[in-house]
Amino acid sequence: MGVISLRLENSELKRIDDLSSQEHKGRSTVARELIQQGLQFRMLKQYRDGKLSLGNLAKSLGISVGETIDMLAEFGIESPVAYEDYLKGFEVKW
Amino acid sequence: MIIVFDSSTLILLAKTDLLREVLAEVEIIISQEVQAECLAKKTADAELISLLVQEGRINVRKTIDAKAIKQLQMDFRIAKAEAESLWLARKHQYPIAIDDGPGIKASKVLGLQFLTAVHFLLRLASRNILSPELAQEKLTTLVQYGRYSKRIIEDAMSRLQEGRK
Repeated sequence: MGVISLRLENSELKRIDDLSSQEHKGRSTVARELIQQGLQFRMLKQYRDGKLSLGNLAKSLGISVGETIDMLAEFGIESPVAYEDYLKGFEVKW
Repeated sequence: MIIVFDSSTLILLAKTDLLREVLAEVEIIISQEVQAECLAKKTADAELISLLVQEGRINVRKTIDAKAIKQLQMDFRIAKAEAESLWLARKHQYPIAIDDGPGIKASKVLGLQFLTAVHFLLRLASRNILSPELAQEKLTTLVQYGRYSKRIIEDAMSRLQEGRK
């Protein structure tokens, strides 16, 4: 595990301390979890905006595509399939 | 009809428990990377896909042009499995089943015909393979996993109610 030092606002430190006592976890553990969740949030946002494919999202999150679909459903993140693209699907002759 | 499936649509149809019904309508082809992606964890959907592959009902094809696949990954910022699906569809001129934003964008650029999981459900309903009641139930489940926009859901629901494809 590496070490970094960073300056935080007093309000941010207070939030970490509050979470730390609420969840009975050390400050470092809480800070690491928040960074991890922040990264996940960022990737989910990129997916929602159509900038990240489902396969790459799963890879980034370190989970399977099936689990990623479950996670997206749990958070209610809308599919990046556009209505116009959905209509185009009816052009396939079968 | 032969259709190349990406993991996204294949898993959505497995989660909705519609894969066997879809297989009665079309021949499904997947790439080896899609197979690996779908079977990465032992979940219920993975078990079903694995069984259908073992039964020879889902055909797994090898992709042979690693350079072209890498190029597709870079050009469209997609994963290897998605690139392999596009490559297979393009090589054989088959439609692709894909429920992924960047993957659909790539399909359009490459001039490929594409479908999403909703299209398969509507097809099954229009062919009376699913009763109207069951189709509506399945649409509710599919929407939960597929997270389609309100506009798509409303359109699909009205097609089901009107008996349109």
